[in-house]
Amino acid sequence: MLAELFVSDRALIVKYEGKLHFPTYGAFKPGTVFGLDYEYEVNYTDLKKLFNSKENSKNWVLMPLVPYSPIKENYRDDDTYPPYKPSTSTKHYLGTDQIGRDILARLVYGFRIAIFFSIALTLLTYLIAIIIGCLMGYCGGLIDLIGQRFIEIWSVPPFLYIVIIVASLIQPGFWILLVLLAIFNWMGMTYYMRTNTYKEKARDYTAAAKVLGAGTGRIIFKHILPNTLSTIVTFVPFSIAAGITALTSLDFLGFGLPSGTPSWGDLLKSGNENIREAPWIITSTFCAMVIILSLVTFVGEAVREAFDPKKFTTYR
Amino acid sequence: MKRQSFALFGALLVAALLPACNGGKEGEGKEKSGGSDEKFPPQDITEEKEAYYKENSDFFQFKTLADLPTDLEWVNNSHLPEVGSPKAKKGGTSTARIQDFPATLRTIGPKANGGFRGYLLDDVMVRTGRRHPETLEFFPGLAQEWAVDKKSKTVYVRLDPAARWSDGEPVTSDDYLFMFFFMQSEYVQAPWYNNWYGTQYTGITKYDDQVFSISVPEAKPDIDARVLELVPRPEHFYKEFGEDFVDRYQWRFQPTTGAYVVRDEDLEKGRSIALTRLEDWWAKDKKHYRYRFNSDRIEFRVIRDTAKSFEEFKAGNLSGFSLNLADYWYNKMADDNPLVAKGYVKKATFYNDRPRASYGIRINQAKPLLKNKDIRIGINYAMNFERVIEKYFRGDYTRMRTSADGFASMTHPTLKARPFDIKKANEHFAKAGFDKRGPDGILVNKQGKKLSFTLTTGYEPLKDMFPILKQEARKAGLDLKVEVLDATTSWNKLQEKKHDLAFMAFGTFVELYPRYWEGFHGDNAYDTQEDGSDKVKPNTNNLTSTDLPELDKLIDSYRKSEDLDEMREIAFKMEEIIHDEAAFIPGYVVPFYRIGYWRWINYPDDFNVKISDSAGQWFVSWIDEEAKKETLEARKSGKTFPPSIEVYDKYKVD
Repeated sequence: MLAELFVSDRALIVKYEGKLHFPTYGAFKPGTVFGLDYEYEVNYTDLKKLFNSKENSKNWVLMPLVPYSPIKENYRDDDTYPPYKPSTSTKHYLGTDQIGRDILARLVYGFRIAIFFSIALTLLTYLIAIIIGCLMGYCGGLIDLIGQRFIEIWSVPPFLYIVIIVASLIQPGFWILLVLLAIFNWMGMTYYMRTNTYKEKARDYTAAAKVLGAGTGRIIFKHILPNTLSTIVTFVPFSIAAGITALTSLDFLGFGLPSGTPSWGDLLKSGNENIREAPWIITSTFCAMVIILSLVTFVGEAVREAFDPKKFTTYR
Repeated sequence: MKRQSFALFGALLVAALLPACNGGKEGEGKEKSGGSDEKFPPQDITEEKEAYYKENSDFFQFKTLADLPTDLEWVNNSHLPEVGSPKAKKGGTSTARIQDFPATLRTIGPKANGGFRGYLLDDVMVRTGRRHPETLEFFPGLAQEWAVDKKSKTVYVRLDPAARWSDGEPVTSDDYLFMFFFMQSEYVQAPWYNNWYGTQYTGITKYDDQVFSISVPEAKPDIDARVLELVPRPEHFYKEFGEDFVDRYQWRFQPTTGAYVVRDEDLEKGRSIALTRLEDWWAKDKKHYRYRFNSDRIEFRVIRDTAKSFEEFKAGNLSGFSLNLADYWYNKMADDNPLVAKGYVKKATFYNDRPRASYGIRINQAKPLLKNKDIRIGINYAMNFERVIEKYFRGDYTRMRTSADGFASMTHPTLKARPFDIKKANEHFAKAGFDKRGPDGILVNKQGKKLSFTLTTGYEPLKDMFPILKQEARKAGLDLKVEVLDATTSWNKLQEKKHDLAFMAFGTFVELYPRYWEGFHGDNAYDTQEDGSDKVKPNTNNLTSTDLPELDKLIDSYRKSEDLDEMREIAFKMEEIIHDEAAFIPGYVVPFYRIGYWRWINYPDDFNVKISDSAGQWFVSWIDEEAKKETLEARKSGKTFPPSIEVYDKYKVD
């Protein structure tokens, strides 16, 4: 959420004629605010150079650590062309891609989109899976039977083809991809939920609740669900990792987010295309992916241990 | 295809249900590529054709040689220089890549308009005559000689008695009569051709098997082209022509008048296809053909991914590779690349001189905001093509000026595209009510509507160009949402006229004068409905939805005009109107093509012909088998050759 404070082409603080400006968040500031002759957004990097070039100037600009936007091209005015090599002097710490966009900036913002996507996807699929799984497990009988057959059938259509077909009709965006993935991804969790609910349903406390006159909703949500929670929680980190991978691979194949959006898949693709001229694109993306995915997995392992049903369970 | 798969499904079903049935249905659903089979029972079009000729006896006339006017001035332009190089050797196999497998071997009808049609028809088939690639006059093809009678708006043609179809049948006047029947028929499912062959020609007269004449409605300055560019259709091959033409002839290779045929065994659907040279081709010693079509075989493999085909090229599995994109020319196949530096791969830039593909942005005036001329002009000023050319294309391309560049004296001499100018853009946007910037720097009007449009394109390889346009347009307060779709999806969207702004190019034919009706006539913009209201007309090339009575009038008189000078005057006027209307933003012109090719591929001294649009189009290259062996051995042993990086700028304009 705070990525803009570290990676952005907007300055953190500008001091101009005794006044402080904080452009990072909020409305754009036209060049005229800082005495420039244009009305479009200030180029803070140039502004900084301008202030620095004047001696005894009291004006100054504080840029973020990586002073680049993830979507803007940065062709240089000398006779060199991107992709530019990683360099600390130009502050392209991981180099640029083929039109001069900063790799680090794209990695950071790409990760932000991917993780949001993944969390949203996980929430959505789990919501569907929990409802259907619990219903199947708790009601059993015909509902269970129909539900299982439906899931079996629903698992058959190959997801990738569906995405290709959709992509040939419209350009898939963030939300369309999210819904599509959710529609074809909820089935896996239902089985766990179903068995768990089935198991818990047979326990004495459920029977006791029933005897006490609790309704179906109350039994499922108040009694059964908390006991199946450990299963859900242990799966979450892995689902998030899977979500990131799914979005990345779709982007890589060209069926993902609109062109120009910072994304890991897109970075992998351009890294692959420029593997000889600009190996830094693919290496940094690859390393970033490995690190993030292993971190998520470690978190997952930790959660799994923390929720180990052998150690913690309400009813023995 | 659908029918085929149904039949296949049927066959499988039958096989599954009746396992003891001796496989009697074996082979059902399989298509043979020649002759009739179970799926397509034999039929005969002859009667229907004869009846059609009779019914349209004004169009199809039969006379004798005695009726032939005697005062005709027969020409054959045999003085025109040869095409290609006398050094050319026959033989060898060249290998090329196609991105998609051709959807059909038909050259007309649904899905026949793919990239492979050039190899089946446009570039390979010998036409009646052909424009000489240097002088633009016609040299003989199937015609031995021809005569133009401007008064009666008729062109007389005498066929070369040697002209043969690839199956050995002679080419006769009947094939031309049949061509009109064929092209006017609804069976081909090609309305554009129906219309063209039905309205742009007024009749054909057969004098004998070799002599015929064709009349046209207007004696346009290029009346000879109208007739000489025609390619007949082999009547004997289309004997089974009929309602099921599209399916029946889907995979049948039509006999050709050209040097290359597709053999059944070279057709591996979805994977590869090959052209094979006819050893006893009828035109092999003709002056303008003898140094062309030199490879014995041209093998095409389907490689969808450009990056992969580049690797294949570097491995030596493809003969040549287009290096038009700066990234390939300067980075991926840079001059210091070992393959180039060691002289195994040659690089060449060839400046051609021909009508230019119209890369540019088309603004759809059917959209409410874009009806406003000030907004359109503002958008013109907000598009920084100068920066795109300078940075993304590294200054190699030039800015397009009009909607029809490269037509020599027929292109407007002084008009220029509007340059990138934020001030002027803002002035015009302000006139249209967009005078304030919102919090994101994008202009808004009083109703709070943002100045934001979608820019649609189907050119995935150019996707990195759009962030530049987008970023620069932002400076002028214009928000562009760039939509890079796949080629077919984007084309469908454009054809339904659902776009705001579209970046694309129309290819152009080598013609004396540009066409305006397709792209700018009101007839192609709207359909008038019963209640009198206008409805956007889909499936036309008028992607700007231009509908100006004044321009329509000019286009109509331009189409009727028979005088080139008059046409030029009208063309300039039209071009000025198009500029004023600002619905077409000229993008850039690619003044050359450049390729990398293996050392054993040879090109003539001037490399290629003036009007070629790719190195392969005129088939002037040849293969040196010894050099191939030498190069492959050198690659192993590390032996090097002098590098060859050439620029051929003989035809460079300005």
